Amino acid sequence: MGARDGAEPARMLPNALLATFVGAGSVVLVGFFFPSVVDNVLGGRAWLVVSLLFFGSGLGYLAALPYEGLGTETSTASTLLHVRRGSLLNHLSDVMKSHDPVILGLPVVVFSLYFALQIVFPAGTTAAVGSLTETVLSGFGPLLVATVLLAVGFCVFLFGSSWGDIRLGGDVEPTYTLPTYFALVFTAGIAAGIVFWGPAEALFHYQTPPPLFDVTPQSGAAVDVALRYTLFHWGLSAWSAYAVIGIPLAYFVFERDAPLRISSILTPFVGVDNLDSYWSRALDTLAVFATIGGIATSIALVSQQFLTGVEFQWGVSSGPFAPVLFVGGLAAVYVLSAVSGLHRGIRRIAGTCVVLFAVFALLLFAVGPKSFVVERGTTALGSYVIHFIPMSLVSSGSWAASWTVWNWAWWFSWAPFAGTFLAALSRGRRIRTVVLTTVAATSAATSVWFLVVGGSTLSMQHSGRVDILSAIEARGGSEAVAGFPLLSALPLGDLLIFLFFALIVAFIVTSADTSTLIAAILASRRGIAPSRGSIALWGAFQAAVALAVILIGGGETLQALAVLTGAPFAVLALVAMIGLALACIREERGGEHTSLVRHVLNRLPSVQLHHDFDPPDREK
Amino acid sequence: MVDSQRGSDERPFEEVFYQTERVPLVAWREFSGAKPAVALMAAVTVLAFVTGLSNLSQPDPVVSGPLAAILPMVETIVRFAGVLFAFPLGLVTVGLQRRKRIAWVAALVLLPGLALLPLVTGNATELPLFVLSVAAIPLLALNRESFAQRIDLSSFQIASLAAIVGVALYGTVGAYGLRGQFLELNGWGDAFYYVVVTVATVGYGDITPVTVEAKLFSLSVILFGTGAFTVAVGALIGPAIESRMAAAFGTMTASELSLLEDHVVVLGYGDVTESFLDRLGDTDVVVVTTNAEAAAQMREEGIEVLTDDPTDEETLRDARLDVATGVAVASADDATNVLAVLAARTVNPDVRIVTVANEETHVAKLDAVGADEIIDLRAIGGRMLGDSVLESSTEANDATE
Repeated sequence: MGARDGAEPARMLPNALLATFVGAGSVVLVGFFFPSVVDNVLGGRAWLVVSLLFFGSGLGYLAALPYEGLGTETSTASTLLHVRRGSLLNHLSDVMKSHDPVILGLPVVVFSLYFALQIVFPAGTTAAVGSLTETVLSGFGPLLVATVLLAVGFCVFLFGSSWGDIRLGGDVEPTYTLPTYFALVFTAGIAAGIVFWGPAEALFHYQTPPPLFDVTPQSGAAVDVALRYTLFHWGLSAWSAYAVIGIPLAYFVFERDAPLRISSILTPFVGVDNLDSYWSRALDTLAVFATIGGIATSIALVSQQFLTGVEFQWGVSSGPFAPVLFVGGLAAVYVLSAVSGLHRGIRRIAGTCVVLFAVFALLLFAVGPKSFVVERGTTALGSYVIHFIPMSLVSSGSWAASWTVWNWAWWFSWAPFAGTFLAALSRGRRIRTVVLTTVAATSAATSVWFLVVGGSTLSMQHSGRVDILSAIEARGGSEAVAGFPLLSALPLGDLLIFLFFALIVAFIVTSADTSTLIAAILASRRGIAPSRGSIALWGAFQAAVALAVILIGGGETLQALAVLTGAPFAVLALVAMIGLALACIREERGGEHTSLVRHVLNRLPSVQLHHDFDPPDREK
Repeated sequence: MVDSQRGSDERPFEEVFYQTERVPLVAWREFSGAKPAVALMAAVTVLAFVTGLSNLSQPDPVVSGPLAAILPMVETIVRFAGVLFAFPLGLVTVGLQRRKRIAWVAALVLLPGLALLPLVTGNATELPLFVLSVAAIPLLALNRESFAQRIDLSSFQIASLAAIVGVALYGTVGAYGLRGQFLELNGWGDAFYYVVVTVATVGYGDITPVTVEAKLFSLSVILFGTGAFTVAVGALIGPAIESRMAAAFGTMTASELSLLEDHVVVLGYGDVTESFLDRLGDTDVVVVTTNAEAAAQMREEGIEVLTDDPTDEETLRDARLDVATGVAVASADDATNVLAVLAARTVNPDVRIVTVANEETHVAKLDAVGADEIIDLRAIGGRMLGDSVLESSTEANDATE
């Protein structure tokens, strides 16, 4: 029964994952209804394993299911057969051959070197990176701040001008429907940072208000300032950083047939045929380095938050190997998701993540301090608009260096991967739609989130119902704990904490799987699509770096290094904006595209003059 | 532009990002069918059970929900409702899995009741139960058409069920009426309790008849009650065991058959059947054959088999040939094949019929009775043999040159 047997392995994986999900789900259910079971019967380690199995198998099941609209079952079976036939070594060498040796080798060497240094001279390395960070952040601070402001302006201009009318890739129907497009870009571009900083950031500004606004710490005025600055750090400015890398890249990829890699941004300066130089390969290598560094440190941070949460909620410590376990489980899920493809795992997990995100925000709003959130939120939104320019111009001072500039550098260090991903998905979309979805819609979503979560935290802290600041203090100033005292003080706390855990996992998986995919694409030889093997390799590499960060330490230092790559990418963003402007001025002069203003004006008379009153043939 | 003639579908990243034409975020079809409805019901059942256990384990259940003030006996409801709902819901889920209409009706009755429970307790942990049970109602209502299987109870089964209900009514009403002649029997609850304890032959003895009339009445309840139960168990469980036995011998039950749709019906069992089935792969197949040995073997391999005469129209209707996508006639005897094609054509005039011809002389006859395609086994075999010989000789020639 050849055909029947052939289809079996394809079904086996999802079925096994579903069984695990249901099994672990029942235990998790029992754990939530009878919390004492966790403490008495299971113990910390087992509970962590069960909850990881639950989330992991659930998301993995989503990834492993075949695509609804496509018969991929046979292809899965045939690849499994393929793997079985060749030896692992042969397979690995095939994967190696499909890579660009420089882009594959350099990051590996750099990361190994870094960890070797970290083991041998931990203090020296940390100090060296620390001073480097300080120099770069203070030196590049004005540049980063200016670039971000310019990026916002550029996005607004693209949205309104006739360039916004350009359809990327000609008259192609967009493959990704708008909801898919939004969900993919949103969840890939914002990793667990949103869960990590959601409850924490506003609180920190409330404790130590920014010097731009002269308010007393922990006062009512500080609440407004804190929310305003949180909106600023996570709103339009942040998302514009991705768009100004992504949109020019998409233009050159779809209009000029440049390859999908970061170096294609140089197309208008060197031409499509000269994108093979050492400079462009160095740029791609730096992009891979920034991506791996950024994601790996985020994974390490998230594992810390998850474990802190488990400890907070059930009072069980999960042992020294818990982070290893967590990262391993996470890696298995995001590699499976990346390998299964964009239309399967990545899309489904992104969808799940967006739904969880919305449900959590709605629930929190419903049970939280509604009037405080609405009142202070609208005030903050209004003052965000009023103070946008002044806030965007602050680049000096230690507060700005450690918050605003650091934040922009962080967003820019993620921009190569998020921008490339954004560009790849944008085929068939008008630039105007791209701006509207990837800047306006995404920042609307993050703003609502930060107003609801940050607002609730501040309300609890300000009214004195929960002292979250001292809870953070008690854990050595670790912001990871911020969400848990807040949620447990609210009605439906258990459910909210459960959703919060799910969000932590989902958000990091949605970023890690796309970054794996993008790293594999950037590192492949020209003209070769990354195979499943090379995607898996990059996923494993990311996990290895994250593990090394946890085991060897120096996570903060590595994060600083990864964030530092934001500075060159800020320069690249400037180059990209100039390049796109030049290309548009050169190419799109024909007047075939209309600006938004003209669109609106064109609409108006046709509304006012109805045919009945004014027949069209008599108009002129 | 130099590269513009390069076809856009050859670009490597598009292999990754543009594998399909259109990627919607949610494939609603996948979430709105009957299968998700059944899965949702299963989840509701498990959740109801765990919630119920959680409430049961608390000495003082929480009753702070909006409905707590309206309903009577809230503490009792909260304590037992979850678990007591879970058991029938489990049964209902099994029924829904079999697409039974009665299970659908029962589910729509049970779910609103279950949704009341979280409203009584107002317990945060019961919110998922509330959301899921409320969500299940429209999903079930949408899929009304899918749950159309009637449960075909025989008159004997109906009678035995009616007998149980009858005995329960007779016993309860009777005991209540004679309550003066019993010790400790004070109301409707006691009467019902007495009947169940008596019929179950447990007889705690806390309620006892004291007069002759009451004793005779009790005896009658024991006789009728145990009798009705025994008969009902036989009538309800018996057919299930029978169908299990029949399955072991290679006959599908009527309810299994009625689920078939868009399948391929294979009439007769011949030399080609095995390899033919291999080729079909995952397609739903029903084989109709009188060959009991082959039937048992195929049954073991997981193929649906109907052990009956493939030339009989009634059998073909049982095999749901009227909704099949295709018919393959493949017995070793051409006379049977002709009759099978005729029968299949009668049952479904539009279905595509492919038949095997064991003798070349029978091809025209098979064509005349309405087969769409006729595979002449010997001719094909001979042709392939010839091709193979020629091919190998040319290869040999190539090698020598």
